Amino acid sequence: MTGGPPLTCESQTIGPEPAATLQGQAVFHLTGSRSGDELESIEGGTFRPALLAGYRDLSRLRYDYPVVLVESAADGAFVRSLSSIVDDVLQEVAPPGMEGERLRRQVLRLECELRSLVRDGAKGMLSDLWEKAAASLAVDGGESVEQILSHTGARLSVDGEVIDCDHEVPSRLVAHAWRTTQQQKARRFHDEVNRLLQALSDILRAAFIHSEGGRRPESLQAGVGDLHRDDFDFDVMSRLLGKSAPADELPVARRERIEWAIDVLKRQRFFEPPVGTSLVQAAELPYEYRFSSCAETMTAFGERLSELVEFVKAMSMAALEADGRYLEAKHDPFFDAFGEHALTLEDLALFPDYLVCIDAGDTDAAESAVVTEVLSSDLPVKVLVQTEDVLEESSLGAGHFGFGMRSMQLASTVMGLHDVFILQTTSSNLYQLRGQLLTGLEYAGPALFSIFSGSASPASDLPPYLTSAAAMESRAFVAFTYDPAAGPDLASRFSLEDNPQPEFDWPIEDLEYADEALQRVKEQVAFTIVDFIVCDRRYARHFARIPRSQWNENMIPVDEWLSLDPSDVGQRVPHVNVVDEHNVLYRLIVDAKLMQAARRCREIWHGLQELGGIHNSHAERLLAREKAAWEEEKQRELESLRAEAAATAVVEGAVGAPQVTVAGEGAPGPELAVEEAAEEAPSDDPWIETKRCSTCNECTLINDRMFAYDENKQAYFKDLDAGTFREIVEAAEVCQVAVIHPGKPRNPNEPGLEELIERAKPFQ
Amino acid sequence: MTIPVTQCLMRFDEEHHSLEDYQGGVQRWCNGCGDNAILTAVQRLCRDEGLSPERMVFVSGIGCSSRFPHYMSTYGFHGIHGRAFPIAEGVKMARPDLHVFVNTGDGDCCSIGAAHWIHAIRYNMNLTVLLHDNFVYGLTKKQASPTSPKGLKSNTTPRGADLEALNPISVTLGVQNASFVAQAVDWIPEVLYDIVAAAYRHKGFSFVRIIQRCPEFLPKMLEPWLQDPSKTLLLTHENGVQLSPDMARIYKNQREHDPLDIDRAREIASSDDVIPVGILYRNPDIPCYEDLRGSGQPRPAERIRAGLEAELDAFTVWPDDSTAKHAAA
Repeated sequence: MTGGPPLTCESQTIGPEPAATLQGQAVFHLTGSRSGDELESIEGGTFRPALLAGYRDLSRLRYDYPVVLVESAADGAFVRSLSSIVDDVLQEVAPPGMEGERLRRQVLRLECELRSLVRDGAKGMLSDLWEKAAASLAVDGGESVEQILSHTGARLSVDGEVIDCDHEVPSRLVAHAWRTTQQQKARRFHDEVNRLLQALSDILRAAFIHSEGGRRPESLQAGVGDLHRDDFDFDVMSRLLGKSAPADELPVARRERIEWAIDVLKRQRFFEPPVGTSLVQAAELPYEYRFSSCAETMTAFGERLSELVEFVKAMSMAALEADGRYLEAKHDPFFDAFGEHALTLEDLALFPDYLVCIDAGDTDAAESAVVTEVLSSDLPVKVLVQTEDVLEESSLGAGHFGFGMRSMQLASTVMGLHDVFILQTTSSNLYQLRGQLLTGLEYAGPALFSIFSGSASPASDLPPYLTSAAAMESRAFVAFTYDPAAGPDLASRFSLEDNPQPEFDWPIEDLEYADEALQRVKEQVAFTIVDFIVCDRRYARHFARIPRSQWNENMIPVDEWLSLDPSDVGQRVPHVNVVDEHNVLYRLIVDAKLMQAARRCREIWHGLQELGGIHNSHAERLLAREKAAWEEEKQRELESLRAEAAATAVVEGAVGAPQVTVAGEGAPGPELAVEEAAEEAPSDDPWIETKRCSTCNECTLINDRMFAYDENKQAYFKDLDAGTFREIVEAAEVCQVAVIHPGKPRNPNEPGLEELIERAKPFQ
Repeated sequence: MTIPVTQCLMRFDEEHHSLEDYQGGVQRWCNGCGDNAILTAVQRLCRDEGLSPERMVFVSGIGCSSRFPHYMSTYGFHGIHGRAFPIAEGVKMARPDLHVFVNTGDGDCCSIGAAHWIHAIRYNMNLTVLLHDNFVYGLTKKQASPTSPKGLKSNTTPRGADLEALNPISVTLGVQNASFVAQAVDWIPEVLYDIVAAAYRHKGFSFVRIIQRCPEFLPKMLEPWLQDPSKTLLLTHENGVQLSPDMARIYKNQREHDPLDIDRAREIASSDDVIPVGILYRNPDIPCYEDLRGSGQPRPAERIRAGLEAELDAFTVWPDDSTAKHAAA
């Protein structure tokens, strides 16, 4: 628990008659109208779900935020939480024991101070903020404290901008991760392009050395070091070499092709060439790849397409030339017709990805359609759709809710495209899902990142981190990933595992509070979408506060109410537990309109669960069917055995105990037995265990018409009539691994058979 | 998923090779020599993996086994005695894209080349090393080698070898950074092939000692193992060698051995009574020297020349008046 008084229960006062209470609550629930004084409005109040009572002051908590956008992340750790960096520093500098304990305490104080600074709007690099926080603490602790903390600051292993969980987090974090992946991509791109340029240059260089120009005296002289230049007569050398050298000039067409490819590869504008290490020198500034609308992205892509096609063509030609596999007869027609049609997803993946950052609130139906169109076009585009308000009212108005509808519609439409990577999550969970974020950015095709920022709205008092965490916890904004590269089926691709307790309708948490007698009470409560909505003042009219004196058995938690069959609801009304700014516990009952929205939210969640393989109705039906069939089968077998046992008992009683053999169960049938016997009967023909032959050449040297090697270079009998039994026996005798088995002589008239048969015996 | 257009084009022209495509000159090894079985296993591997002959280099030292590159229709380097490893390392460093094999014998590797051998293990470069161990110097007509068993009579040990034989497997397993150690015998070609294939697929210094027969100078030496399959211990594992039913029926002396267990590998390697056959140790996580030191950057002729000039200048004796000038430059 951080901040605020301990959670206590509202004190009880004497209320109206129970019957009137029930009547009033039921009327409110069904109509949303308050009748009587016992139902208090919460409009103007500052209530939050009871489960969030402990999170008043986030700066005193160690959690994922603030985070540091790591500069020059070499190991893929493009973002680190402040806590993890502090832990690393402590691990390095704090010695065990009391001395280390003091240091640990000071550094943790600094971390806390740093959080407060960031919460109050401080911005900048971690190293700067660290110094600032150290200086601030030194005011109380003296110069030595500042020195200690500055010293620990010098041991920071990473640096980068520090950002808190605010409305900018999705775009900044995604953009930073995108830059990281683009840097890696740029390295791979330059490596490959430089390799090709080097190979093409080598071809031209080799051609020059073999050419007439390369044999000129001045060229030969340039190939010898300064020190020994006077020792040679390069004119004579040129004449001598000229006489013996073949006329091996590079064909004109090939030279033109190579020079064209070099030119195209060198003047690319897709990536900025790294200074000093690249063979590429860009003539113009590289292209911009970050946009704020899909339409702009499409336009930019279209404008650059011809250049991209030309570049891929040059790369392909260069790769074939570098490998010595360019065949003009075969490849010229292909490259003459080369166009965008020939580009594959992997070709496009070589180039920078387009990043489009869109605010969901600003996207109308037309823009949504363009987003879908872009994502379906196989372009290397990564779209971030940032949602600011997940509890917006439906465009239908008149009290209709559209909770999470916009993002859900987009995500489900895009998932239908099958080959788009999707990551949906909230800001609060973004750090935990940084791995999936990178996976999506590295995915070769298009990707959609749908992120709820939890941005503080005037309708809520919660900070963005808590708002976004509550949205995910309450299933109002569900986290999921859909990764087409993870496998061919939904089970591999779709995952809900990043949601809290995904197997349940709602996450169940422990709620502890002190009752009127100041005794500890512990309950397990569900965190539902109604708990999330209660934070939003726009929907305060859907709640009514019930004084402690009027709590009754008909008031049941929202999750229980939702699990009832509508026909069994009766007089029961749903309630949620909330606290005010003093952490006093209240119960609010909820009207039916909101409960209808909650029920729909749960149904949507059920649909997602099915996609994620949780409570899958098809699987459950199949399982039930198979189980019933299995039980039926077993039952039949049991009955059959019983009947058999009864019959045997009768027979035994009559004539003793005969042996019964059931055909097909015991001994093999006669036909099968004959077949097996035939297989096992020894053959008179000679044979070789070919698989064990060690290719020693002994047998093939004796008679290579009789013995030969198969496709694995192991011996077999090629033609038994091409040699004598004597040769077979001799081969068996010299075979190093004894895999030749002579069998019996095929020609009974062969001389010396008696002796040969005797010699063959050890090898049979 | 699709593939880049360049790969599409490459695959159009992809060549499928037969064993004959890898066959170089006619072998001059003795009939019955185990080198033939090793050659066949390697050629089969090349064919089955679809390796382009122009992308392979076989480097050898001196000895019967070191004639191996002549019999492969690939690039090859028949080096000098004991120096196969440094040559192969140089090739790999300069051309990491090539598949580099080293064929060396028990004398070449374990005697004159022993220092290079030890450090090659430590460098863990991506090389496939086949140690053809026939326990004797065969090319020079029967002298004792480091692996000759104690008591072996040879031209240099007419009263029998005085020393215990060196065990190349134990030695390799004792060197830091050993990443793949296996033992095969030439008379079980199926397992020999599997082990050579596993060695090839391992990224790092894969060392395979292949015990082989020398029918000319030690014709009877391995007879007991050939006659009695129970004297060969087959090491099997899902991450190692898996025997076919035929082999399993013949070689019943088997043991499940996890190639990640180096302690057990050392214990098995030191057994005297049986010949262990299989993958004793494999650790794919050890980095390769070429990855640690190679820049991955292309090296244009200008850069190579500048590097060479700098190296050579360091040893150049300049005229007196220019020493300071060049040093300053």
